[in-house]
Amino acid sequence: MERAVPHAVPLGQMEVFQALQRLHMTIFSQSVSPCGKFLAAGNNYGQIAIFSLSAALSSEAKEESKKPVVTFQAHDGPVYSMVSTDRHLLSAGDGEVKSWLWAEILKKGCKELWRRQPPYRTSLEVPEINALLLVPKENSLILAGGDCQLHTMDLETGAFTRALRGHTDYIHCLALRERSPEVLSGGEDGAVRLWDLRTAKEVQTIEVYKHEECSRPHNGRWIGCLATDSDWMVCGGGPALTLWHLRSSTPTTIFPMRAPQKHVTFYQDLVLTAAGNSCRVDVFTNLGYRAFSLSF
Amino acid sequence: MSSESSKKRKPKVIRSDGAPAEGKRNRSDTEQEGKYYSEEAEVDLRDPGRDYELYKYTCQELQRLMAEIQDLKSRGGKDVAVEIEDRRIQSCVHFMTLKKLNRLAHIRLKKGRDQTHEAKQKVDAYHLQLQNLLYEVMHLQKEITKCLEFKSKHEEIDLVSLEEFYKEAPPDISKAEVTMGDPHQQTLARLDWELEQRKRLAEKYRECLSNKEKILKEIEVKKEYLSSLQPRLNSIMQASLPVQEYLFMPFDQAHKQYETARHLPPPLYVLFVQATAYGQACDKTLSVAIEGSVDEAKALFKPPEDSQDDESDSDAEEEQTTKRRRPTLGVQLDDKRKEMLKRHPLSVMLDLKCKDDSVLHLTFYYLMNLNIMTVKAKVMTATELITPISAGDLLSPDSVLSCLYPGDHGKKTPNPANQYQFDKVGILTLRDYVLDLGHPYLWVQKLGGLHFPKEQPQHTVIADHSLSASHMETTMKLLKTRVQSRLALHKQFASLEHGIVPVTSDCQYLFPAKVVSRLVKWVMIAHEDYMELHFTKDIVEAGLAEDTNLYYMALVERGTAKLQAAVVLNPGYSSIPPVFQLCLNWKGEKTNSNDDNIRAMESEVNVCYKELCGPRPSHQLLTNQLQRLCVLLDVYLETDSHDDSVEGPKEFPQEKMCLRLFRGPSRMKPFKYNHPQGFFSHR
Repeated sequence: MERAVPHAVPLGQMEVFQALQRLHMTIFSQSVSPCGKFLAAGNNYGQIAIFSLSAALSSEAKEESKKPVVTFQAHDGPVYSMVSTDRHLLSAGDGEVKSWLWAEILKKGCKELWRRQPPYRTSLEVPEINALLLVPKENSLILAGGDCQLHTMDLETGAFTRALRGHTDYIHCLALRERSPEVLSGGEDGAVRLWDLRTAKEVQTIEVYKHEECSRPHNGRWIGCLATDSDWMVCGGGPALTLWHLRSSTPTTIFPMRAPQKHVTFYQDLVLTAAGNSCRVDVFTNLGYRAFSLSF
Repeated sequence: MSSESSKKRKPKVIRSDGAPAEGKRNRSDTEQEGKYYSEEAEVDLRDPGRDYELYKYTCQELQRLMAEIQDLKSRGGKDVAVEIEDRRIQSCVHFMTLKKLNRLAHIRLKKGRDQTHEAKQKVDAYHLQLQNLLYEVMHLQKEITKCLEFKSKHEEIDLVSLEEFYKEAPPDISKAEVTMGDPHQQTLARLDWELEQRKRLAEKYRECLSNKEKILKEIEVKKEYLSSLQPRLNSIMQASLPVQEYLFMPFDQAHKQYETARHLPPPLYVLFVQATAYGQACDKTLSVAIEGSVDEAKALFKPPEDSQDDESDSDAEEEQTTKRRRPTLGVQLDDKRKEMLKRHPLSVMLDLKCKDDSVLHLTFYYLMNLNIMTVKAKVMTATELITPISAGDLLSPDSVLSCLYPGDHGKKTPNPANQYQFDKVGILTLRDYVLDLGHPYLWVQKLGGLHFPKEQPQHTVIADHSLSASHMETTMKLLKTRVQSRLALHKQFASLEHGIVPVTSDCQYLFPAKVVSRLVKWVMIAHEDYMELHFTKDIVEAGLAEDTNLYYMALVERGTAKLQAAVVLNPGYSSIPPVFQLCLNWKGEKTNSNDDNIRAMESEVNVCYKELCGPRPSHQLLTNQLQRLCVLLDVYLETDSHDDSVEGPKEFPQEKMCLRLFRGPSRMKPFKYNHPQGFFSHR
């Protein structure tokens, strides 16, 4: 008995190559357009695809509505991080950050507005930019990645104002503490560092892996994700996902998850978190028990 | 009494009338000499009117007398008799008058009649004359018109026009002075001239006929001469055969082939012509030949009466044997199937020689009732090949040409109309018969010029030369590439089965000098087994694991780590790369679903295959991929982050030079090898 094969079209060289590409594709970053109708996604081949959320989520959505509206090659390397301002889409990957106009992208005119590279110390290998953070009050952009530094760039002038050093290994993620303008960064070295933007100095360091309750040595010590609510912070990765009280730098709740977490965010009173290699988005309350999971 | 007496008297009177008439006549006769009494003449003299009056008076008198007699008789008396007698005599006289008058009347009548008669006769005679004359007039008129209408034969002849006549005719015929004035003479002259001309032309005609006869005879003679030449030429050709062979110019052989080719069915003929042309023009390594029985091919076109006779004979035979053995339904169906799948007795053989002296033998058949072509393939190498176990299917005749073009697996008939024919005899698909009949690939149909539009059965699909020509070059090239890549794989498999990954010297730069992981096993697995593996689900869902592909399992080991690689080899290797799916057993089972680095390793081998192709014709792709897999395993094991909680040294010390161990949010290992610096970095 023959099994039904999903593809009836004979696969030539081009089709096989495209299928293989799709199988090995990783989407690293995403960003919603300022109008809220479009979603930009960046993958490991350096391409950015724009999807129409309104079409895909509408009641008359067909297969074609779930395909990208426009796809373009943005970077040579993977697109690790993207943010949107009210008019621009900023994407960063291998060493440089590029800016695109949302209005132009939607009209399929995909030319970058500008590209900037922070001043790197080493020239042997171009470090990647893993995280982008917008500081709306200063109208600046913070980049952090492979060279273990946080760079701030003024969005108007494009000049790099500060470089915050302190991490001993590359930085994974950034979070903004709004009330006192502080930036939190989590890195491969296992530490979460808080930086004061005005003084450009490191204010606080939390070495997560050193705390026995949350460390998981078999996973490593790296911090993959950070989210902060000004008083509270959630971080996870190699160590378990933990809720910290920032002033006292003590872990309060440890969320029972097995896999290393890649993304976390605060939503009202809940914590939403997703692991990279499971199909679930878990929703927890602040008290530490899992309320429910959203599953693909 | 009186009436009786009158009656008596009448005849008397008459008699006596007669007698006196005679008497009168006699008197008239006697008076003829002198004067005769002619009553006729008297008639003319008397007046008829007076006679009529006299008659009336006489009648009156008679009546009076009769009345008086009556009176007297009635009175009676003696003197009556005398008065009666007196009166009687008076009445007799009156009677005499009456008689005379009667006579006169008769004579008048007669005269009148005679006169009328005479006049009538005259009129008749005139009438007759008139008619005669009229008749004659009419007759004469007719004659006149006849004469007027008379056309002489000479008017039907198309005579030359007057001007021409005067120009051409010699003066003794045309006699211009005479004929000009006299149309009659002119016509005569013209007729003369016509006659002259006709005589001359008749002469000419006879001459030409005799000429023609002569020439025909000459032609006959020459023809005979030419036909006597043919056998002599044949004998010269025969004699020149050894010379041809010596000079490598096999004209005769080619000629014979063309002779045989005339009996080929149209698609095979197209293939033969196009292949020969291509071979002569572009590719000297291609040779074409025709095999099979020409007589059988000729027998196919026997006239129907013969076959009907055969049928009736065989029917008679069948009837005889019916009692003993009835052919079962299955046997009948079988026969029908055989009939439907019958091949044309002639087939075309193509031999493709490759660079390394291996030859691909292709035999093309034509299935007459289905109107499709099939091919059987065989690869012959210069030296005898020892087939490694895993390479069993590589060069097998069944699969060596599978999917030459994407999707062309050759298991289904390309002619949509065949489905209806199959239904009649209970054939499900052609797949069951391909081993015997050959594969009906689509490119084979195209080489034969047969084009079947998809899903629409057409009644007649005729062989088209242009279709064949446009596909010939590509197909031949693909065939050669296919054979060579299969032979290369064949060799490589032999080496792989011994655990050696044969990397050629011009591909060494892709890999570091030291590779510790080793290939320990290389086997072929079945399609179903591949589908059952738990780490190949993605490939299966993407539709890349079809039953036309070949599947292998490789095992790479280093220390305690065992890496299983399931390989999908597409028949279109090496333009379509092999696809690897990995499963690592070391500190737990890691596949692409739970370890991003395994995924990255797969990506290095599957997606970045173009770097591994090596020099054209990129036969090194598979071996390079395997070697890279070994290198990747080395990197993976050596860059494993050390777990502080576990005691003891790392199993695999890091020997590879890497700039950074982890990069990016997914914390990838550095899998990319940089040449010639020799360090590993990230993509």
